[in-house]
Amino acid sequence: MKEFFSDKSVKILAATLAVIIVVAILGATGNPWVSSAFNFLTKGLSQVTAAASDAASNKTYDELKEENERLKKEAADLRAQLVDYYDLKDENARLWKYYQIKKAHTDYELMPASVIRRDTSEEFYSFTIDVGTASGIEEQDPVITANGLIGFVSSVNAASAKVTTILSPDLKAGALSKRTKDTGVVSGNVLYTDKNMTALTKIDANATLKKGDIIVTSGIGGVYPADLIIGEVESIEYDEYDATKYAVVRSYEDIKSVTDVVVLTDFKNKGEVRISKKSTGAD
Amino acid sequence: MNTRYTAVRYTAYALELLLLFVLQSTPRLLPEILGGKPLLLLPAALTIAFLEDSIPAMFFGLAGGVLLDFGYSDNVGYYAFLLTIICFVLSLIFRDYMVVSFLNATAFTAAITSVLMCVYFLFFFIFAGRENSLIYFVQHYISRIIFTILCGMPLYLLNKFIYRNLRDV
Repeated sequence: MKEFFSDKSVKILAATLAVIIVVAILGATGNPWVSSAFNFLTKGLSQVTAAASDAASNKTYDELKEENERLKKEAADLRAQLVDYYDLKDENARLWKYYQIKKAHTDYELMPASVIRRDTSEEFYSFTIDVGTASGIEEQDPVITANGLIGFVSSVNAASAKVTTILSPDLKAGALSKRTKDTGVVSGNVLYTDKNMTALTKIDANATLKKGDIIVTSGIGGVYPADLIIGEVESIEYDEYDATKYAVVRSYEDIKSVTDVVVLTDFKNKGEVRISKKSTGAD
Repeated sequence: MNTRYTAVRYTAYALELLLLFVLQSTPRLLPEILGGKPLLLLPAALTIAFLEDSIPAMFFGLAGGVLLDFGYSDNVGYYAFLLTIICFVLSLIFRDYMVVSFLNATAFTAAITSVLMCVYFLFFFIFAGRENSLIYFVQHYISRIIFTILCGMPLYLLNKFIYRNLRDV
């Protein structure tokens, strides 16, 4: 045994494990330099791969006759222009949506972002975006699209941020029904994650919610602005253990495949906790 | 000693791990089959360990683990720590006591992958108190474990090919 522990390779193993433990502790205590360095190194790679499906291809025409070459070159030029056109059209459509959001909510400070990486585990469809503290992103910032709330920034470093989606049980957001004003807490539920749905829990026993009701954020806790659309009620269910009522809410956005989002870096009443008689304590 | 081939082989392993990380983490690249996507880096690191000496096996285990951990949580932790140890020990076992064969590699990959992923689930789902964890296990984890094990087979053959063709004589 003594011989085993005096072996050079075992000493190297022990030293490596010690380094891993120190790095893990540093990371767990909120020191972001390790993840910042990692994301800095892999950001370019992730961006290239994320954009790979949109890349256009070029071909050579060495064997073709001169005229044929010229015509094909023209065709290639036209195709390139068409790709540019579609890129610009997509960007225009995307920016138009953000403009609409900004126009409807003048107090919103928006930062557009692209999804550069999906979680290895795909647990609750969390993802990484290409903006970080350098772009003014902070932890807990809401992440939205033109179709409503997507999630929140759960961790951030200089060049990227991780987004936990509304499909995750880790997200708790105060919410209410636009029609009935019934309040509750939106939080993901494993039973509905795969169907792009979340749950509105802690609703009153006398709540009169029904299918089709639009659910929005209440804004009570100051983390999310009021009136951000979360989705619409799909069904009313009862917890099998305590028989409490909850509503299943379908997001208007396909969260599983979203590629472009907007981070809400600032808004009116951000960080202000408002007291409400129907407050649920979440958000 | 001619170390040229060794350097090229290690570079090939490193590129393989990087490529698998990209495959795993690029949105919509790998299809989700029966609710699960394989963790390609896990069998890749293990199959390298079957073939290599303990120190390089350990470092490739560390590299695979770090990439897996960052895919999960933006911090080094579970997989980096355990894969470093497991790859080191696996290398010693296969050097001194076991024959490196497709069957042995598949059996070890299956056992270690199942244990590692189940323990991860135990810590980060059951002990974390997530609701309906077992449903998630049935819907996603079982298929993920099976696909990860299945992916270990071609990865073993690939790494065996790299090892055989890029070995110093």
